[in-house]
Parts: sequence; structure tokens; C-alpha cells
Amino acid sequence: MQNFQFHSASSLQDGLDYLAERAGGCKIIAGGTDLIPALRKADLSFSVTRQKSDQKSASGRSELCKIFAGGGDVIPMMPKDTHPDYVLNILEIEELRGVTETNDSVRIGPTTTFTEMMESEVLKRCLPLLVQAASSVGGPQIRNRGTIGGNIVSNAPCADVLPAVLALEGNLELHSKKSGIRILPVAEALEAPYKTSIAADEILTGILISKLSPGTRSGFEKLGRRNALTTARMSMSVVLKLEDDGTISDLRIVPGAVMPVAGRMTNAEEILLGKKPESPLIEDSATLMAESIFKITGIRWSTEYKKPVVQNIFKRLLKQLLQDN
Amino acid sequence: MKKRGIGVGSMYYGLGYGFSRPDIGSATIEVCEDGSVIVRSGQVDYGQGSDTVLCQIVADELGIKYETIQIITADTAMTPDSGPTSASRITYVCGNAMIKTAQALRAKLERVAEDILGEKDLVFVNGEIYSEAHPDKKMSFVNLAKACHLKAIQITETGWFDNSTPDVDPDTSQGDAYAAYCWASQLAEVEVDTETGKVEVLRVVAAHDVGKAINPSMVEAQIEGGVVMGLGYALTEEIIEEGGIVKNSSFEEYMIPTSLDVPQIDSHIIEVPSSEGPYGVKGVGEPALIPTVPAILNAICDALDVRLTELPANLENLHRLIREKEKSS
Repeated sequence: MQNFQFHSASSLQDGLDYLAERAGGCKIIAGGTDLIPALRKADLSFSVTRQKSDQKSASGRSELCKIFAGGGDVIPMMPKDTHPDYVLNILEIEELRGVTETNDSVRIGPTTTFTEMMESEVLKRCLPLLVQAASSVGGPQIRNRGTIGGNIVSNAPCADVLPAVLALEGNLELHSKKSGIRILPVAEALEAPYKTSIAADEILTGILISKLSPGTRSGFEKLGRRNALTTARMSMSVVLKLEDDGTISDLRIVPGAVMPVAGRMTNAEEILLGKKPESPLIEDSATLMAESIFKITGIRWSTEYKKPVVQNIFKRLLKQLLQDN
Repeated sequence: MKKRGIGVGSMYYGLGYGFSRPDIGSATIEVCEDGSVIVRSGQVDYGQGSDTVLCQIVADELGIKYETIQIITADTAMTPDSGPTSASRITYVCGNAMIKTAQALRAKLERVAEDILGEKDLVFVNGEIYSEAHPDKKMSFVNLAKACHLKAIQITETGWFDNSTPDVDPDTSQGDAYAAYCWASQLAEVEVDTETGKVEVLRVVAAHDVGKAINPSMVEAQIEGGVVMGLGYALTEEIIEEGGIVKNSSFEEYMIPTSLDVPQIDSHIIEVPSSEGPYGVKGVGEPALIPTVPAILNAICDALDVRLTELPANLENLHRLIREKEKSS
């Protein structure tokens, strides 16, 4: 294991203070399911890089720090040059954990584990999409450690819960010592694979999601090579509202694991918005979605598979939601 | 759309090394003065349970409790060589070595007991030794062991069993290459998601002629384990190599089945004894896995009406086949 200074924050203020002095050289950890494997991988395969990092810290210009919560996400797919000088543990900060609701919104603490999400009565009642997505992550041990915050801030292309949060138009509440609190839509935080616009001195303190208006339906499907402990080959999160006259008044489509950065398929949504979901329109929407995806990714070895299958999964999920009452 | 199909896979398998290759099992069995027994033998039990079965055999031959036997294996400083745990050979080859050695040891013990009891034709059952003619004249195995020790009689035997067979005809390749053959058939029922290419194996029925099941629940466990290995072989397992470097060298990337991928497995043990195996034993180690792949691929073929000719039947390979069929029809 690498050498770094480990600090368990006792309170949010303690964490923010620690981070403010070491931003850039510190990683945040919660469950650790991403960070720990990344640290090990970097330790095993890049000793040269580590020497460089050691020199940096010796000269007092450390530039690496990670935040660790559940760690379920940071690890397997992280860049291999992970050599933090400091690791800040936020798992023991009570206020960062758990699900609470107000009249019209739900607040999820970033260190809420996938298991806690699956067991949350609030989420089951208000945002079942998140329960479905959380239950598709890894296996029981990973779900016991990995956190929703980690799944979002890691911004892995194969993240399971992040696309569902995007479909729910979630917002991030970010704290820093210097700038206080800011609210950032999740969609705006995602810059590139494994990269977000969250500043190095900021801690994610809450995921804020508006409750869906009555009658809104949602659905999730994950396709993997096996039934557990599998990276998503692709996933699909859909939120849909059907009016009494049969027209679609709200539609959000977020495929997962098919693009470098997950996002809404607004072109495909617009085809169906305000219309009755008849088969030719659904076909058009699916075709446009696939075209939009592969315009971004370009043609790769997996395209011949993913292009038809992402449409199939979207169509059957949509039809299933249209049939639900 | 979800389509279902059923397929059969059958096999026969020659156990042991065959073709005149050396195939030797060994055992050293020692009776301690307290009546406990130590077995030393070179083969390794890598989880399939051969230590248990070999001790069962020794217990049966010496008429003592299984719990009084300790086995030491796979230690080159302590154990005579028994060859590798491979070719589904351990129960057959090493089991025969156990029987041969235990019987020689019992003959030695019997002579001592005959002197003590003044009786001939003794039986060794449930930790006791007595003559069938006068069952009241008896002694315990423990006391016999003590008596041997006090008389300074060595109660250790080492024996080998040679399972080497004649080679086949070098010109025609005709002949009987193996000492015994195992037989098995498996049925697989699958459900194929034609929209994604994902295969769900719903049920496997496996019938295996193992000759004689010395430990039936472990035979079932081996069948179930073999089916799961076959399932991975059929559906997900693939070594991806580029320029001599394996790209998926961890279990994060090399996909073996999880417990959630394992279907209901109905095992049926068939016992048609072999002529030379211990109590008629054949084998089950590899046979458990062999019919699973053809059974699953045949079931996929039954479901889709097209045949996959490469492994694994993973998402991409199967969906390509489905698309090609759609195009051609």
C-alpha cells in the first residue's frame, strides 16, 4: 500500500478545514470500493510515478488528494496514476449519511450506501428508480460499502446509479471552506470520464432531487454479462409522464455505459414529447437516440452490438412503462 | 422476445492416463498404538473431497470409524508419490491403492489377532475383531493396536496400484486405451433474450454413470460444480489476448458464473460398476463439466433455430447470430 496521511473527519467543518489546506493533494474516501483498488493498482504498476509524487510532497508542492467514502466506485476503472499525499475519510460525518424528505424534494446524503438506498422507505415510495439502480450495483458486499456520492463524483462511464440521478434531474450540494455552499445540477458537473467540475476543496454534502409529479413513471434496466458483480454492458433509465389524453408530457432518457459521459438523450425525448407514443414515433426516437450516441463515441468494435441493443432496451422499457398503470 | 429451448449433451470419458502412460497411486497406512490410523498419500485434494473418500475406503477395509483416520497428502517429505490430481483418476487409482494397502495391513493385523483370540477367519467390523463362528470371542481394534505395539510388531504398510494400460495399435490406433470409461448425459433448458443476446440457463438435469458413488453427496457436489464450470465455459469465459498479453487476467474481467447465474441442477447418479475400480468406481471430476457446453449450445440452437459455432455464447456473439438470421429470413 502507498504512503499517505489518512484523516477521518469528525465533522463537516473538520473535513472542509483539512481539505482547504491540502486541496489538490488530497483524495476523499467514503466506502473505498473505487479508491482502494486504484491505490493498489497504482502502487503495483507505477512505482516510477510514485517516486515523482514522493518528490513533490517532499518539496511541499503536493498536488494529489482523494476523497474516500464507500470506495465502491473509485477503484477498478480509475486512472492508474493515483498517488495522493492525503486521504480524507468522510464516512464518519453523520450528517452526510441517510435519506430525508420535504414536501416536494428528497435529500440523499452522499455517504448513503447502495444497500441503505435499497432499504429506504422514502426512496421506495418517491424515487423507486434509484432503488432499482442501486440494487443493480455489484454484489451485497460492494453495495454495503459503495455510496451514491462516490458513484456520482467518480463519473465512471459504467456507473449504474449516476444515469438514474441524471434522469431524475438531481442537483449536487457542494461545500467548501472558501466559497461556502453552491448547488450544481449533476448534468453540469460531469466533464469527462472520471472527471467532474467539483473543485478540489469541495465536499459533496447532498444529492437533492425533486419528487416526481403524481402519475410519473420510471424504469431501469441494466444489461451485464452475468447476473451479479458485473460492469454494465449498458443500462437504461427512463422517466415518463403520460397525460389523460394519452400524450407524453415528460420524458427523460438516460442510457448508461454507452458514452464516455452519461447524459440525457434530448433529441430522442423531443420526438415523443407532447405526442401519443405510437410505434413509428417510438422507432424514430430509438433510432435518433442510437445515432446521437454513436455520433459521440464514433464507430468501435462494440458498436455493431450496442447500436441495435440500446434501441431494443429503450423500446421495451418504454413499452413496459406505457403499460404500467 | 424471450425464446426457450432444450438441448442434450452426452459424453464418454476414459479415466486415468491410458495409452500405456504411467498411472500409479500409492498409500502408506500406519496404525498407531492408540488405534488411530495415519494415511500418507501423494495426491492433492483441491476441494473435491478426495481425502474424505480415501479415508472412507480405509475405514471400510479396516472396519474402523472414519473419525479415527488422519490423512496426510501432497507433502513430498512425508508422502509416497501418487501422481497428479487429474484425469478424474484419484478415487479410482488412489482408491485402489488404499484398498490394496489396507488389505495387506489387515492381513498382518489378523495374524496377531488370531494368536490372541485363538480363532481363524476373523472379521473387522465397527472397530471390533471377531470370528464369525464364535462372535463372543472378540477384541477391539484399539486393543489389537496396543497389543501389536507391546509385541513390537510394525503395523505399517505401503502399497502401490498400477493403472497403466496397454497402448493402442500404433498403426491403426485401435485398442482399449483406458482402464475404465465414464458416461454422462445432461439436459439444459435455456431462455434467450433475442433483443440483447443474453442467455439464462433455467435448469440442468445431469445423469452420470460414476460406477459406484462412495460418497453420494460429494458426487452430487462435483456434478453441480462441473455444471457451473460448463456454464461459464459456454456463456461468458474467454481469455482475451493481445500480442501475448492476457487483457483480462483478473476475475473482475474474466467472467465466471456467480451464484445468481446458477440454475436449478438436478443430479442423477447412475451406478454401473467398473470391473477394476474400487467397489466398481469410475470417475466424475471432468465428466461433470464435459456435457454442459453442448447441452447449452444445443438448447440455444433449439430456441433460435440457428447454431452458434464459436464460444462463448456471449452477448455479442449470440446477438450477431440473431441479427444474421433476421437478415436472411
